[in-house]
Amino acid sequence: MGTFNFYPALYSLYLSLFEWNGLSPTREFVGLANYTRLLASGEFWNSLWVTLRYAGGVTLLALALGLGVAVLLNQPMRGQALYRVLYFLPVITPTVASGVVWKYLFDPTQGVVNRGLAEVGLVGPSWLSDPSWALVAVIVVGVWKRVGFNMVVYLAALQGIPKTYYEAAQLDGAGPWQQFRYITLPLLAPTTFFLVVTALIDAFQVFDLVYVMTSGGPLGGTDVLGYYLYRQGFRYSELGFASAVAYVMFALIFVVTLMQFRLTRGGQEDG
Amino acid sequence: MKAHWLKAIATAAVALLSLGTAQKLTFWHYWDGANGQVLQGLIERYQKEHPGVIIEAVFVPGGELLTKLQTAITARQTPTMAISDLVAMPLLTQSGALAPLDDYIRQSNLNLADYFPGPLVYGLYRGKRYSLPVSASNLGLFWNKNLFRQAGLDPNRPPRNWDELLRYAKQIKEKTGKWGIELFTQGGEGTTWQTQVYFWGAGAEFLNANNIAPAFNSPQGVRALQFLVDLVQKEKVAPVAPWGLFGRGEAAMVMDGSWMTQFFPQQVNFELGAAAFPYPAGGRPATNMGGEQIFIFQNADAAAAKAAWDFINWFSSTPVQVEWDRSTGFLPVRRSVANDPAYRAWVSNARPLMRPFVDSMAFARPRPPVARYPQISDIFAKYVQEALLGRLSPKEALDRAAQEVAPLLR
Repeated sequence: MGTFNFYPALYSLYLSLFEWNGLSPTREFVGLANYTRLLASGEFWNSLWVTLRYAGGVTLLALALGLGVAVLLNQPMRGQALYRVLYFLPVITPTVASGVVWKYLFDPTQGVVNRGLAEVGLVGPSWLSDPSWALVAVIVVGVWKRVGFNMVVYLAALQGIPKTYYEAAQLDGAGPWQQFRYITLPLLAPTTFFLVVTALIDAFQVFDLVYVMTSGGPLGGTDVLGYYLYRQGFRYSELGFASAVAYVMFALIFVVTLMQFRLTRGGQEDG
Repeated sequence: MKAHWLKAIATAAVALLSLGTAQKLTFWHYWDGANGQVLQGLIERYQKEHPGVIIEAVFVPGGELLTKLQTAITARQTPTMAISDLVAMPLLTQSGALAPLDDYIRQSNLNLADYFPGPLVYGLYRGKRYSLPVSASNLGLFWNKNLFRQAGLDPNRPPRNWDELLRYAKQIKEKTGKWGIELFTQGGEGTTWQTQVYFWGAGAEFLNANNIAPAFNSPQGVRALQFLVDLVQKEKVAPVAPWGLFGRGEAAMVMDGSWMTQFFPQQVNFELGAAAFPYPAGGRPATNMGGEQIFIFQNADAAAAKAAWDFINWFSSTPVQVEWDRSTGFLPVRRSVANDPAYRAWVSNARPLMRPFVDSMAFARPRPPVARYPQISDIFAKYVQEALLGRLSPKEALDRAAQEVAPLLR
């Protein structure tokens, strides 16, 4: 295992100090030049900004929707199991297949999305070709794929809250909103932390969805870090520079993970 | 009787010897489906005609071939020979891993002058030739005859210059409500290689003569981009939208590849026409070109390299290329194939839509053979999009693209 995980990782760190196209017999040692070039590149900052918006959008929306669906599906109702399966399906659908299907759904004239909007009198944008809408479309799909997972985790957590808390609150005259606000939400806090961090880590590495739906376009509007890395390494054959991008991504994700450790430890002490 | 025996023994001996010394060659390619089967059939025939040579063809998916070649070259575990898409050739020729072919070409009296000039641009590096073209494709105009009729245009007369193109497009939009022409507006290489056809048609160059500086921001280049921007912004006869409007009958004209002469007829429910792409008054006929090149690796030992060359020489010969192009629908890379009576008869009878594409090979141009081409193409496409969306004027867009491209060519 070590050979397959750590050797490439270290080799990539080493490569990030060179300028090399993957084929030329010579590679030129450039020190930290790839990193300084990266930090000076407008495309890199655009890509980071796109990634942050994507990660923020998907994390928050999928969290809110996942919680909402979990609370609803936690009530006794007909067809509960079926709904749970339906919400979970996107999680296990291969991303590439989802991307291809959603690409058709977002087609400006033929797609279901804009036809639906037309039914209610709205003119939908040209989703994937409009730089201001493409990221929204990709976020929608990201959320769609994530909600089911959040729902399942929240459902498990909801079922772990003792019924007696709610009974006591009802005796004190608390309404449903007050019960949710003062019992459910605080007791779900550790779960929420967990879901935020895993969603952020996941979202930071998004690649396949973007590759299939927009190829980073239009005009860099969906050029997330994962796609930027792919472009540099495998389309432009800039292996040294791409390795530097990979290490910057690694650093960012590492910081997020550290935050998780901090926060969950804090949560436990409070609890 | 005696002679018979001797002959039999001699044949058996030769067969045994060749078994022992069979020359095994490995050949990496990405021709899948029907094309892969045609290749396999040709290889089997070659082996029958050349006992003692075994060619093991290995299929590698198109998107992975370059990465796999990179790994193989780094690890010095290369196949004997391989093909590659044109665009990756500069990287490969500059890698030092390919064997120069000039001596073989001379010894075999292979007539390079018979090749169309476009595809020969690739494979040449510092005066030496490292690869030969084996297949080609190019771009032309397809039009929807039904929409032409509905708009009151002659369905059998395609536009011959840009003025007519614009006039037809406007008439189609006005009379039928459909788009006049579909442009590839989604960025990346798709946008670049279509836009280059307009640029070349208007007399603009993409890079300068030595491929060391951008040249697309010339007055001719600005004129070409202005024409595209006008189609979208001013005349509103072409939309910025995902690709595929023409196939669904929502646009009356489109620039698409020679391979679509095979696929469109199965996909569309209207009558199709195909022609060389129109160019403006004072311009010149132009089209862009794709295709594959074949090469031998430096690592192959002398006997294997010689055997690989013999196969390449056979595969490149006019009769085999005629058969290859007929069975695959690739365009000829050699004039002797394009002019071959059997080939021309096949085109006329079986694939009449392909005629203009075959004829366009004479002026088909290669994308500049520079190692950083993919990056340059993305930058160019990004600024073309900026102009099509009306965010930058054509002049501004091309100047900015030139500014970003220049350092990549140094």
